[in-house]
Amino acid sequence: MDIFGSFALLLALVAAVYAFVAGIAGIITRRPLLIKSARNAGMAVCVLVALAVATLEYFLQTDNFSLAYVAAHSNTALPWYYKLAALWSGQEGSLLWWTFLLSIYVFFALFLNRKRHPELMPYVGVILAGVQIFFLTLNNFIESPFRILGAADGTGVMHMARIAEGSGLNPLLQYPEMVIHPPMLYSGYTGFTIPFAFALAALLGRYPGEKWIHITRRWTMVAWTFQTIGILLGAHWAYAVLGWGGYWSWDPVENASLLPWITATAFLHSVMMQEKRGMMKVWNVWLVFSTFMLCILGTMLTRTGLVSSVHALAESNIGGWFYSFLGIILAVCIVAWYKNRDYLRSDNQLDSLVSRESSFLFNNLILLAACFAVLWGTLFPIFSEWITGNKISVGAPFFDKVNVPIALFLIFLTGVGPLLAWRKTSLDGLRRNFAWPAAVGVASGIAAYIFGFRNFYALICLILSVFVTLTIFSEFYRGARVISARDHTDIFTSARELTMRNTRRYGGYIVHFGMIVIFIGIMGSAFNKDVERQMHVGDTMTIGPYSLLVQNYDEDTNANYDAQRATMEVFRDGKSVMMLYPERRTYSASQVTETIVAVESSPLRDLYVVYSGISPDTNQPVIHAYLNPLVKWIWFGGVIVVLGTGLAMLPNRRTGIVLRPVETRISEPISPEGAVAPAMAPITHRASLNE
Amino acid sequence: MTFPRLFLCATTVLFLAAAMSGSVQAQQGAITAPPDTGLSPAQTARAEELGKRVKCMCGGCDDAAGMCTHSGGNFAGPCGVAKAELKEISAAVAKGQSDDQILQAAVQEYGPTVLVEPPKKGFDLLAWVMPVALPIIAVLLVWGVVTRWRERSTTVPADGPPIDAALLARAHRESGEGDE
Repeated sequence: MDIFGSFALLLALVAAVYAFVAGIAGIITRRPLLIKSARNAGMAVCVLVALAVATLEYFLQTDNFSLAYVAAHSNTALPWYYKLAALWSGQEGSLLWWTFLLSIYVFFALFLNRKRHPELMPYVGVILAGVQIFFLTLNNFIESPFRILGAADGTGVMHMARIAEGSGLNPLLQYPEMVIHPPMLYSGYTGFTIPFAFALAALLGRYPGEKWIHITRRWTMVAWTFQTIGILLGAHWAYAVLGWGGYWSWDPVENASLLPWITATAFLHSVMMQEKRGMMKVWNVWLVFSTFMLCILGTMLTRTGLVSSVHALAESNIGGWFYSFLGIILAVCIVAWYKNRDYLRSDNQLDSLVSRESSFLFNNLILLAACFAVLWGTLFPIFSEWITGNKISVGAPFFDKVNVPIALFLIFLTGVGPLLAWRKTSLDGLRRNFAWPAAVGVASGIAAYIFGFRNFYALICLILSVFVTLTIFSEFYRGARVISARDHTDIFTSARELTMRNTRRYGGYIVHFGMIVIFIGIMGSAFNKDVERQMHVGDTMTIGPYSLLVQNYDEDTNANYDAQRATMEVFRDGKSVMMLYPERRTYSASQVTETIVAVESSPLRDLYVVYSGISPDTNQPVIHAYLNPLVKWIWFGGVIVVLGTGLAMLPNRRTGIVLRPVETRISEPISPEGAVAPAMAPITHRASLNE
Repeated sequence: MTFPRLFLCATTVLFLAAAMSGSVQAQQGAITAPPDTGLSPAQTARAEELGKRVKCMCGGCDDAAGMCTHSGGNFAGPCGVAKAELKEISAAVAKGQSDDQILQAAVQEYGPTVLVEPPKKGFDLLAWVMPVALPIIAVLLVWGVVTRWRERSTTVPADGPPIDAALLARAHRESGEGDE
C-alpha cells in the first residue's frame, strides 16, 4: 500500500515535469495540442497528489506504524480528527500537505482559465509546474512521508518493522483549532503562488492591457483571506493552549507568516494605483514577487532550523534546497523584470502630494517598513553571529518597540488615505472630511486620560481608532444619505445599496474597520494583570473585580492522557457568577504535560486561569490567573476583516440602462422590412447584474 | 510652508516621535506574591522588571526568565534555571547594583544571548538603527521621486496627427482596458 502512495507522488512529479517541458515547447512552437496537453498534465498533478495524501491519511487512520511518519506522529489512542491533523504535524506530512494545497490552486487556476487568456496561460502553466517540481522533488526524494521502518533479522536481512504503538501527536497540537489552523495558513502561503505565476507570466509574455493585474488581485485576495484566518487562528491557539496569557510572542515562525501577509496587503492597496491611474507597475510586480519569495523564506525558516523557534518543525537538511530555489526565483524575477522593464512604464505621473495616490505611496512605504522591521529582527541573530561571532537574542520587546509606532502610523493613514481624492485634494475638502472625526478622536483621548488611561501608546491608539472609525462611518453615512434622499429609503437600506454598488470600496472600509477593532484589542494588552499563588482547597484569590475560590482538585484518566483538574468558583460583587475548570494533561505516548486554560471571555476582559500544577519547591498546587482586557475584540475584528474581504470580492451591483419602446407617429421612417421601427428611449433602472 | 509640505512634515514627525519614544512592551502588571527575598516593594518591582529583560537559559523554552511558564514542563511556572537567574538578580538588587551592572553580570555568565533585546552598541546597534533609518531613507527617496514626477508632468503637445476618438475608443475596448 505504501508503494501506491510513493508511486502516486512519483507520477505527480513526472506529470509536473511534463507540464513544464511541454509548456515551454508549446510556447516556442505555438502548437495548441502541446499547450493543451501541458495544461492537462498540470491538472493531473492535483489528482495524483490527492491519491498520495489519501494513502498517508489511510495509514494514519489505520495505525500502520510500519510507516516512519505514522509511528512518529500518531498513536492508537488518538481520536480520528487528530489523526487527520497528524497529516500536517510533521515535516514530511506537512510538505506533502503543502504540495497538495498548491496542486488544488494550480488545478483551479488552469481549469477556470482553460478558455481564457490563451496568450498568458501557457506561461502561467509553466511557472506553476516549475514550483510544483520543486516541492514534489522534496516529497519524493528528500522528505518522503512513505518511508518504511525497517528492522534487521538475525541474518542481517531487513524486514518491515512491526511496531505496536506510535510516539503520538505533539500534545500542543491536540487542540481543535490545530485541525483548522495549518490548512488555513498553508492555503494562504500556497495561494500566493498563483498571483506570482500570473504576474511573472504577464511580464515574460508581455501580455497586453491590464487584465492580468485584475486576475492577480483576485487571487491575492483569496490567498490573503486564508492567510488572515490562519494567522488569527494561530494566535487564538497560542492564547488558549500555551498558557502564558498572550497570543503573539514574535516567534520567528509567527513572524514568517506575517511577512507575506504584509507585502500582500501593500499590493492590494497599490494595485489600485495601477488599475485607476496606470502607475506603480514595477512596484506592484515586485510586491507580488516579494510576497511569493517571503512565503518560501517563511517555509524555509519553519523547516530548516535556521532560526530557533518554539514551534518550528523538525530540523533537517533541506535548507540547501530552499536556498537554491529562492536563488533561482530571485534570478528569474530580476532577469524577467530587467528584460521587460519598458513594459512596466507608468502611464501617469503624480499630480499632488495630497492625493489618494500619495496616500497609497505612504501606505506602501509604511507597510514595507513594518515588513522590513519584522524580517530584520527575525534574521538579525544570524547576521550578528556571522559578523561578530556572538549569538544574540531578538525577543518580543524589540519587535514591540519597533513595530508599535509603525502600526500607529498605519492606523493614521487608514483614516486619511481613503478620504483623499484621486489626483489632488483641496484644503477645504480635507477640513470638511477630517475636522470633526479628528476633534472627537482627540476629545476621547482627553476623556480617557482624565479617567486614568495613562499609557502613551494606548492613548494614541485610542485617539486614532476613534478618528478612523468616524471617518469610515461618515463615508457610509454621506453616501447613504444621497441614496436615501433620492430613493426615499431608510438610511440602513441605502447604506446596504451603497455597499453593494461598490463592494470593493465599501468592503475595503469594512476591512479597515475590522483592523481597527483588532488594534483596539491589541491595545488592551497594555493593561494586562496577573496573579500567581499557591492555593489549597478553600483558598481565595482576587484579581480585578473577580474573586476565585478553589473548590476542589481532582484527577481523570483516559487512554490518551491523565488529567489533573482544578474546580474554581468565580465571584463578582459577592455573587457566584461562574465555574472554571483549568486543567493539566500528561499525554501517555509522549509523557509531555500541557495546560488546558479556562477562559471566561467578555467584550471588556478575559478572565484567564491556568492551573500551573504542583510547585516542585513547596509541593503545593499553584494557580496563575490573568485579567486580559479587550482580547475578544481581536477575534471579533478578525471576523469583520474576513467578512469585509468576502464582500469586496463580490461583483458590484451596477446601475444598468434598460431600453423601453416609446410610442411613435406613423409618419416616422419605415424600416426596410416595412415594419415600424419603434424609437428607443433610455430609462435608468437599478438592476443587479447578478439577479 | 504650503499645506502639502506641512502635512508631510507633520506625519513624518508623528512617526519619528513615536519611533523614538520609550518602551512599549505590554506591561504585565505582575502582582505575584513575592517570595521572601528581603527586598523592599520597590526593589522587588525592579527585580521583576530586570527578570523580564533576561532570557530563561534552560534551552527548552524561549521565554524571559521573569515570565517563564516553561510550556510542556511538569510545572507551568519558572523552571529551575529561570529561578536561579531570578535569584541572582534579586541578590544583585539587594546589594544595590545598577541595572547595567546586573545585566552585564548576566552576559558574563550566560553570553550575550541572555538579553531579550540586542545590545545598543557595536554591530548590534544596527538592529535598532535600521528599522528607523530605512523608512526615513525611503521617505526621502519617495519624496525625491515624486518631486521629479511632478516636474516632469508638465503637459507637452503630442507629435503627429490627432488620433480619431472612435479609433481610440476601439483600441481601449480591444485591449480590455477599463473592464473589471
